[in-house]
Amino acid sequence: MQWLYLYFPNLQLDSLLHQQAYNQACVLVDKNEVVQTNSEARQLGIKIGTGLGQAALLSAQLKVIAYEPKQEQRLLAQLAQRLYQTSATLYLDPPQGLLLQTSDMLRLYEGLAPYWQQLQQPLMERGLHYHYASAHSPLAAQVLARAGNDRLLTNQGEATGLLHQLPIHSAGLNYKLSLQLERLGLNTLGQAQALPRSALGQRLGQTLVTYLQQLEDSSAPNRPTYRPPEHFRQRLELLYEIEHSTALRFPLKRLLSDLEAFLAPRQLHAAGLILGLEYREHTSERVYIGCSDGEYRAESWLGLSMLRLEQLKLQAPIIAISLKTKGQIPWAPLSAQLFEPLGGKLTAGQLISRLQNKLGDHAVQQVYLRDDHRPERSFYQGVPQSHYQAHQATTYLRPSLLFTLPQALNHKPDQQWCILSGPERIQSGWWDNVSICRDYFIARNPTGQVCWLFRTPREEWFLHGYFS
Amino acid sequence: MALLQLEKERLVWRARQLTGPDHRRQSSFYPTLDAHLQGGWPQTGLVELACGPAGIGELRLLFPLLAQAQSRLQVWINPPAELNGQALAQHGIDLSQTLLIRCQNPQQALWSAEQSLNSGCCSHLILWAPGLTAPQAKRLQVSAKGNQALMFWLHPQAEPSTSALPISARLSLAPLATGLRLQIHKYQGQWPQNSCQVDMHELWPSLAIPTHLPTHHGPAPSSTIAALPFKPR
Repeated sequence: MQWLYLYFPNLQLDSLLHQQAYNQACVLVDKNEVVQTNSEARQLGIKIGTGLGQAALLSAQLKVIAYEPKQEQRLLAQLAQRLYQTSATLYLDPPQGLLLQTSDMLRLYEGLAPYWQQLQQPLMERGLHYHYASAHSPLAAQVLARAGNDRLLTNQGEATGLLHQLPIHSAGLNYKLSLQLERLGLNTLGQAQALPRSALGQRLGQTLVTYLQQLEDSSAPNRPTYRPPEHFRQRLELLYEIEHSTALRFPLKRLLSDLEAFLAPRQLHAAGLILGLEYREHTSERVYIGCSDGEYRAESWLGLSMLRLEQLKLQAPIIAISLKTKGQIPWAPLSAQLFEPLGGKLTAGQLISRLQNKLGDHAVQQVYLRDDHRPERSFYQGVPQSHYQAHQATTYLRPSLLFTLPQALNHKPDQQWCILSGPERIQSGWWDNVSICRDYFIARNPTGQVCWLFRTPREEWFLHGYFS
Repeated sequence: MALLQLEKERLVWRARQLTGPDHRRQSSFYPTLDAHLQGGWPQTGLVELACGPAGIGELRLLFPLLAQAQSRLQVWINPPAELNGQALAQHGIDLSQTLLIRCQNPQQALWSAEQSLNSGCCSHLILWAPGLTAPQAKRLQVSAKGNQALMFWLHPQAEPSTSALPISARLSLAPLATGLRLQIHKYQGQWPQNSCQVDMHELWPSLAIPTHLPTHHGPAPSSTIAALPFKPR
């Protein structure tokens, strides 16, 4: 079997810097020691392992960010999710490595070069620095990649040759063991491999023997392969604090393009997204962005999200955002448009989602009917639904415009009014405490409006609507 | 574009041509109005209706048209009171294609109108708004024309806006005993017209003032069950 190992020495820093063009020296620090540097910092002479104090002396403007192993693991999983589209068998090797089984994929891609080209593309898009090596065994690939080999080797002989020349101190052995080997006068891996295993085991312990065996063992590692998650969930740390909701556009765009890359190959649409905004003071807020028809394209989601975010007032500067899907629905092609000459740009569902995101959910409504004789309860307004339940309307003539609260008339209709029909008595609702007893009339007032009036038993007159 | 083409589209017209019905009009289902407007309402564009006070029959003027065309959405923005679903359904309007939008401010109402028109999935739009400026009217007119939609702008003034808005038609309505009087101030593609009377007595007999009855207050002899103007779909 053939294996490829990808090693990302700068994973967290590269991902952070990729969102915004940042051209100052910047380092990640773990326990007062520099662990990741960008090229500007390296030019200043800051190396991996430099103390924080010394690094600060080398540059006054140095940006220092804390190294977070958890965040790096998340980034590695995100990367695996993306590479899973190209390569079927993946193993995570946290915190900074990915192991890919290549032999099965070569038949699909017809060779190592096209396959490698496909793999490189997502890495380039993310602006990641990486080292790679291919070899006959997982460990050999790992050791060669971590040593910065950067070569794709197809035959075992070449890889073994390279391993033999590898200095002991860069073979990935622990510090004590490599020191012991060097004191024995073994400077390269080849020299150690040439010695009898049993003798090495007796003198230096079983770890070294296992290591040397694994270097030649081409079988798969003894752990589960990577399985992509079923639901999209991603978090993005921001390099800068964001104070205006419109400035969220650019980081959000990146998350949404990842969402598209997640949904498109699965033929899924997201019915809604939950955008998490993490504020500086450890509080967070969740914003729901809906699209009733479902959508997967980053561009459409960005438009909908910005409509919702424009309405939003941020409580505090934002330091990180996260995105997850709420409801993933299978993609259903729109077929009704084939013979429609007026091919719409949006579907009704998309239009409704857009309006809802801008105006709020309650501003966009549909009218539903209900069986009730009380006029104000015979219909109600609710959120539009894709499956509308048809309902039989009443046969009595009703006004098209109805007041929610009937308006009291100062005096009863006089000779100037013309009663056109009535009375129609509606007495109902004694069972639910909203009892009414009204005599309705259709009447035309002096200005020509056709009104719907009612009279209560106490001879009070109200205007309830217009036959507009 | 050849002159012939322009003439066919009625972008250029000869005075003597303007007698026959225009094929690019849609019937309003009121014969007198159709005859007066040479075929009825425009297929697309923005029509201003100066209604005066609400409730004189301005929506009854549109219901036959709205009941007819229902393959796409019909959007109602900021009606002056609740839209009674029972009444809409009685008039044959498909409530599943009816969308009601309520906006806090006029800008949002115009935004919603433009979005609805531009989506291409809206066939009719009825907007209640106090006033439109010329650029706003132009944008809505272009959106409606470009997306095969007909938009009605209703406002409570008795007279249409004085400024020459770049829209398809401007009409003002006044109540009559049996219907409405329409004053046609502007109608694209035809000569200015004098007023016309729309008789709604046939469609809504119970809402017209009976001619044999004196107009004074008194119990009407008609039955309590009012007649239906349309058969429900």
